[in-house]
Amino acid sequence: MAKDRSSSVEYAGPMRRLLLTVLILVLAGTFIIWRIDSPRVERFRAQMTDRIVPNFDWAMAPITGTINLIRDFESYRRIAEQNRELRRELRQMQAWKEAALQLEQENARLLDLNNVRLDPRLTYITGVVLADSGSPFRQSVLLNVGARDGLVEGWATMDGIGLVGRISGVAKNTSRVLLVTDASSRVPALIQPSGQSAIVTGDNSATPPIDFLENPDLVRPGDRVVTSGDGGVFPAGLLIGQVAADRVGRLRVRLAADYERLEFLRVLRHYGTESVSDTQQVLTPNGPRTLASEARPDE
Amino acid sequence: MSELSPLQLWTRRLGFVALALFIVFLHLLPLQTAPQSWAGPDWLMAFAFAWAVRRPDYMPAAMLALVFLMADLLLQRPPGLWALLMLVACESLKSQSRQLRAATFPTEAFSVAGLIIAVSIGYRLVLVVFLVDLPPLSLEIMQMIMTLAFYPLAALVTHSLMGVRKIVPGDYVSRGRRL
Repeated sequence: MAKDRSSSVEYAGPMRRLLLTVLILVLAGTFIIWRIDSPRVERFRAQMTDRIVPNFDWAMAPITGTINLIRDFESYRRIAEQNRELRRELRQMQAWKEAALQLEQENARLLDLNNVRLDPRLTYITGVVLADSGSPFRQSVLLNVGARDGLVEGWATMDGIGLVGRISGVAKNTSRVLLVTDASSRVPALIQPSGQSAIVTGDNSATPPIDFLENPDLVRPGDRVVTSGDGGVFPAGLLIGQVAADRVGRLRVRLAADYERLEFLRVLRHYGTESVSDTQQVLTPNGPRTLASEARPDE
Repeated sequence: MSELSPLQLWTRRLGFVALALFIVFLHLLPLQTAPQSWAGPDWLMAFAFAWAVRRPDYMPAAMLALVFLMADLLLQRPPGLWALLMLVACESLKSQSRQLRAATFPTEAFSVAGLIIAVSIGYRLVLVVFLVDLPPLSLEIMQMIMTLAFYPLAALVTHSLMGVRKIVPGDYVSRGRRL
């Protein structure tokens, strides 16, 4: 790079050269500090985003709205075709709805019989997407809920149907959601009905591949992929999507969440799954001892 | 070099900051949340080079460093690296601006193209050396080529719409000052 050129300006005073050197050192230092202690710098980044981006909101909302309106208008041209498609889908859906209703009744009956209590702590906060990552290299969105609303890093985010990502970076008023499609996202998953565990690895494409699958022969395109809850970051059983095979036969996940338009996202409050420790104390040769209080929450 | 009154000069300088903020703002609009398979040009880079060639005095180094650092932080890049490379590139363009002032547009575009390629490759190399997670190569190359292709447009807009032009002899004669 032409680094020394800048110092050859005829009239560049020593002050200017000094300033430039200082600036270069500061920028290089920032990068190296980020490399060494990235959480601290990322927290600073989150705070700075928190300061700046909400100020843009008054302008962002109308512009985004207008552009989306224009896009919607363009889609009106295909309205007849869409109508036909929708009607066909609706017929299929009605059949599914019937099945779902029957299953729901059956499920309610079974739950009642078993006296199952669903986790009452799995509640959620809904946030609005303020901004996206701003570059094609990163997949994340900024939500308008933050530490003020009690958000904690690592909580799962859904769009109502499927998993969207997890909270990474919380500032006072905003928080960043790292999407499942980002290259640094790894989600432990379970593939149903075969029950195999795998990891959904983001790779900056719309359909993230499935890695670390023990026996790919047991998995078929169309199988459901849900979170397994391993690692304690996500609660278990959140829908991620369906298995699909790409052209070269690699298994990928077709995401259930509608990534084309992420607008409102649900952040699930999750306080960790409780794990049972001290197993040998529970199973003594003289019979089980009562040690229910030993169970302690992860993290 | 600056023969404008301080107020005018600072208005132009703030003009660049406003332009940078506007570009970042457009990037941040939540229009595209699905991963894209293409990358557009880096407009901030193109405009910074176009301005630096034309009016070095509008772009003090400290302001450039701040603007690019802000862009790094807001656009989720490793903070500091892109800013550092852009600062060095802009400073080198500023120091060449005397020679480029008399040059034709192809000469200017050629030296800018060299810098665009150098910054892109340098960025990637440093990321490799520091073992940072790399963005997809195909997207980076596409962004670089798009920036190269759209630089003339950025230069045209800078020249005609924003009125940032190279100093020509006689610009300040009316005010009775020596250029």
